[in-house]
Amino acid sequence: MNAKTRSRVLGWVVTLLTVAGAAFVLLPYFWMVSSSFKTQDAIFRLPLEWMPREPRWQNYPSALGRFPFGVYFFNSTVMALAVMAGNLFFGSLAAYGLAKFRFPLRELCFRAMLSTLMLPLEILLVPTFLVVRQLGLLDSYGGLIVPLAVDAFGIFLMRQYITDLPDSLIEAARLDGCTEFGIYWRIVLPNCRPALAALAVLSFRENWDQFLWPLVIISKEALKTFPLGLAQFEGFHSASYHEMMAAAAVGMIPMILLFLLFQRAFVRGLTLTGLKE
Amino acid sequence: MSNGLPSVPVSLPQARTAARPFSLTYANRLRVAGFLFVLPALLHFALFKFYPMAQALLLSFFRYDLTSSPEFTGLGNYRALYENPLFHQALGVSAKYTLGVAIPEWFLALGLALLLNRAMPGRGLIRLAYFLPIAMSQIVVALVWKFLYHPHGLVNGLLATVGIGRINWLSEEATALPALIAIGVWRGVPLFAVVYLAGLQAIPRDYYEAASMDGAGPWQRFRWITLPLLRPTMLFVMVMSLLMAMKVFTNPLVMTEGGPNGSTRVLPYFIYETGFAFFRMGEAAAASSILFGLALLFTLVQFRLLRRGLA
Repeated sequence: MNAKTRSRVLGWVVTLLTVAGAAFVLLPYFWMVSSSFKTQDAIFRLPLEWMPREPRWQNYPSALGRFPFGVYFFNSTVMALAVMAGNLFFGSLAAYGLAKFRFPLRELCFRAMLSTLMLPLEILLVPTFLVVRQLGLLDSYGGLIVPLAVDAFGIFLMRQYITDLPDSLIEAARLDGCTEFGIYWRIVLPNCRPALAALAVLSFRENWDQFLWPLVIISKEALKTFPLGLAQFEGFHSASYHEMMAAAAVGMIPMILLFLLFQRAFVRGLTLTGLKE
Repeated sequence: MSNGLPSVPVSLPQARTAARPFSLTYANRLRVAGFLFVLPALLHFALFKFYPMAQALLLSFFRYDLTSSPEFTGLGNYRALYENPLFHQALGVSAKYTLGVAIPEWFLALGLALLLNRAMPGRGLIRLAYFLPIAMSQIVVALVWKFLYHPHGLVNGLLATVGIGRINWLSEEATALPALIAIGVWRGVPLFAVVYLAGLQAIPRDYYEAASMDGAGPWQRFRWITLPLLRPTMLFVMVMSLLMAMKVFTNPLVMTEGGPNGSTRVLPYFIYETGFAFFRMGEAAAASSILFGLALLFTLVQFRLLRRGLA
């Protein structure tokens, strides 16, 4: 075997390993979907049944009928969209100010904002709860949305992008007599569509998924989010794994759609923040 | 000039005289405009980050159960934590979880990124397969893995085919935390591989070509081109992976409720339990302050180390 064929064979082996790794990463999801179509006895049967013998579609309506999952789904979507809108608007607004203007203490402002990356809700759980209670926002959409509506990550991501926009664009608009807010709204925003798309996808994903925060501030059935509903399902029917997997599979659908539709924006968002310092 | 402003000489006499009373000079108007753009975000952070942070510090010196009014206890909450064996246990569990997840992530994610950066048939599809799980909900992950770790679940089913007996993954002290760590790694590696992949793709091809022409082998190219140029990416991955692992909450709550015997009670879960199950808000705030101190320390130490590495 000469050197060329040897490196060819090696290349194929590495590719096969990469594919095997991908299968390993996806296996839990495959098992979830497969189990969601099985009977309760079949899910724990040995030898393993990779595919259900005959798919039980009724697991889905039966699982979703146990709790008002439609309401939960709606609440999660409202929360994720509203938080996303806040992140896009306030994030890009602050980022524009930080990237293209000079004013005293600008660097300090930026650093103070960045430092809040180290203050996630998990750390500030108790005091944030108390603030939201003082504002009278417990058990309300406002309580779900407002504390999350501005996020340092979004500001950081947008600032990276806006810094690279040419100054001449902004100066030209200023000479044309555009107001400062007009410049932001009509010139800057349309020019950072890729970054906005990336932030939108990342933000929606993260907030559709919020669990701890709704868990702490929501007790009304009508305001519960989908993750809370799933956790509740687990608490009440922990033996019905086949139905739980059906409910979980439904909870996965918005994320998968989002990812498949906006894969590029998604990956770009992750990379925009990592690339530069 | 990289910054967006034309340099206006503010101090010129005519600029001053030209300004009418109550009107701002051009440069000052821009300063104010810039500040106003940042102001809404600043106010939000003041209300939902800095004030709560101060509040947490303050509250950590009080006894407070949400209903009766707070009562000053000095360092009482910190002493209570110091004397609480469950807090010591939670610190240890968090440390083990955080390092157990983050350190494998650094290496496996870089390895995966190198694999995915190679030319191979169907690369787009393979990348998609690795990246798809990044989009999954935490709660779905928790439920699915609870099912997989079930005594009669898939993990034991697969082990049975190679003759390994049944293990009660989540209800044995020895295996519960490692089982959660495995999930953290499985979930984090693809995420950070995306970040590394972007870093790898930003390295100009000609560097490698030039090095090859000078006779550098694959290892030398990796050691002297890839590694040094990936430094900023590595810093990002190290800090983010540690911070992410430190705040893990959903899995311990849904899968083990911190058990068995507290072996998976990480610090965020301890805080949640102390505050919202036992209503000892002051003690929870004290524990939060300590967790924040640790996060800060980690981040600063890493910035120091990597900055020195860069110089």
